[in-house]
Amino acid sequence: MTINQFNTQNLNVGQKLAIKYFSVAVVLFAAQILFGLIAGLQYLQPDLFYGVLDFNVNRTVHINAMIIWMLYGFIGASYWLLEDETGISIVGIKWGHFSFWLLTVAVIIVVLVYLFIQWGPGTDATIWFINEGREYIEAPRLADIGIVICMLIFFYNVAATVSKGKVTGITGVLTLDLVALAGLYLAGMFYTTNISLDQFWWWWVIHLWVEATWEVLVGCIMAWGLITTLGASRKIVTTWLYIEVALMFGAGILGLGHHYFWIGTPEYWFTVGGLFSALEPIPLVAMVVHAVYDSGKHGFKSNNHPAMAWLIAHAFGNFFGAGVWGFMHTLPQINLYTHGTQWTASHGHLAFFGAYATIIIAMFYFAVQKWRGGVTIRGDLVDSGWKWKWSLALLNIGVMGMTIALLISGYEQSQIERAIGGSTWLGYFQAQIHPWFVEGLVWRQIMGYITALGFILLVWDLLTIGKKEPLELESKVA
Amino acid sequence: MLQPVELKDFFITFFASGIIIVSGALYALFYAFYHLKKIAVLNYLAYVSYFVLFISVLIITQTMHLDKIWTIVVIAMLVGYFLAPRGIWHLCVATHKEKGYEQK
Ligand code: HEM
Ligand code: HEM
Ligand SMILES: [Fe+2]
Repeated sequence: MTINQFNTQNLNVGQKLAIKYFSVAVVLFAAQILFGLIAGLQYLQPDLFYGVLDFNVNRTVHINAMIIWMLYGFIGASYWLLEDETGISIVGIKWGHFSFWLLTVAVIIVVLVYLFIQWGPGTDATIWFINEGREYIEAPRLADIGIVICMLIFFYNVAATVSKGKVTGITGVLTLDLVALAGLYLAGMFYTTNISLDQFWWWWVIHLWVEATWEVLVGCIMAWGLITTLGASRKIVTTWLYIEVALMFGAGILGLGHHYFWIGTPEYWFTVGGLFSALEPIPLVAMVVHAVYDSGKHGFKSNNHPAMAWLIAHAFGNFFGAGVWGFMHTLPQINLYTHGTQWTASHGHLAFFGAYATIIIAMFYFAVQKWRGGVTIRGDLVDSGWKWKWSLALLNIGVMGMTIALLISGYEQSQIERAIGGSTWLGYFQAQIHPWFVEGLVWRQIMGYITALGFILLVWDLLTIGKKEPLELESKVA
Repeated sequence: MLQPVELKDFFITFFASGIIIVSGALYALFYAFYHLKKIAVLNYLAYVSYFVLFISVLIITQTMHLDKIWTIVVIAMLVGYFLAPRGIWHLCVATHKEKGYEQK
């Protein structure tokens, strides 16, 4: 065991694989931010890179990189906690490494294809090799098949390890959740010429991922995090996990209806979607009770302050991004006006960042801590921890700032373009040149730079934190 | 089937919607703290929060025209946001009491 240096001997077999996934996740996160900034600039300067690096390409890379880096983060997190939870070494780890490389090569090829080959007519062949055309999961079908193979291997690692080792509440929920998560991906893979049908199934992937299966997955990570860092009672945490699964799935599955208002699906979806999605924030609200209970009973003592801070950011981000921002536009009586405006983008940014980016960043901090031999990382580091504190602040201020800016633009669109302009072309263009809209997008860009600055600090911090810290005597180093 | 919000009611609708979720969380927060610390004012604050939620739900009931079948949404929200935090609290307490709690 080596203290203070990155040494894989400090890690168990699953964790060694996990840090590979985490490393690629950070690189793709960087790509997401870079291409987000370019796409944002093109809103302000539409001729920028025109014909060379078009907006549609930048947007595609921006959001696909996000989905993929988050999946890498989740896969890494699962490998990270699996051996701790099951008490045995991961079954078939060789396949796990193989699938990591396969997936990464596939991702590189897909990104290159996005960047260089996105023009010309769409044919059957382009579905296979160029682009499948479904927002967020645009990877062509050939890459999809590769992704599915990798997911199957990952699932085999998890399921085989769990069934051979100790089945805990957390690993049990995780395994079942992964079945649902992988199964849903298939719904986004076939082709139909009917756009309503196409959208109908596509939402199964997007909505049922982020509002059901991903929420449960981060619930598992959170449960594990609370037990390992705070010493929270496993019994309480797992009971909570079961309730959360019930509430999330109970409201989230039919909450799917909030995407079926305007795509040509039957009218009953208005009420179904409205009712269930109005209940979706309940688990997020109820989570507060659980947090109070746990902190009251155990106090917040932790030897990894940045990770704790990011877990808290996750709780707030999930609550505001998904709960508050989600509910504000979820009933059809108002969604009629906000649908597909910058309102949606406002919610999308806060929810994805707040609910998912945050908790994966917390995992990164758990990972570097152990990778360096289990050093203590607190607020009183040798350099007073200014890097993690500033990156935490800048990232959150940046994303919150973008969210508010987009909200103002979206609010203006819902009035000028939709309510007054009646969703006509004229209304659309009037809304696009209105000062509120334009200035909103300028501020989004400024806040985007702040976010990027926070990200650069984050990477710097992850590479250096704990380099000079002493080992805490009582902290267990395994 | 549904009657959209009027333009003049946009702001109040967004605002009240946001307040519903925020006051729902405050209600949960105060409720839990009251039961942990037994300070009476916290209990009072919990009900004030729920009252704010209640009023906000009534406001969007008006502005979003949640009548007829939409009444289900109003009732489900009022009941759901009231009961869920209480239910979770009881569960936390129940699991605490059980044997083997300090198993880590
Ligand atoms: C962490 C969880 C969530 C994430 C990551 C998330 C993310 C997103 C994203 C990215 C979109 C835009 C999709 C597109 O490209 O069209 C979207 C749309 C939407 N979300 Fe969420 N969301 C979450 C939770 C929620 C919740 C809990 C609600 C409701 C209470 C909600 C309500 C909506 C609605 C109504 C739309 C459609 C907006 C439109 O009509 O344009 N979301 N969400
Ligand atoms: C760093 C600065 C960032 C900038 C300048 C930026 C900019 C953009 C732009 C221009 C779009 C396209 C919007 C459109 O089509 O109208 C977009 C979409 C999106 N971005 Fe970002 N972004 C940034 C960071 C992030 C982060 C950190 C996340 C989440 C972790 C994120 C999540 C999303 C999502 C989910 C969408 C799709 C939204 C929708 O379809 O409604 N972005 N972003
Ligand atoms: Fe949704």
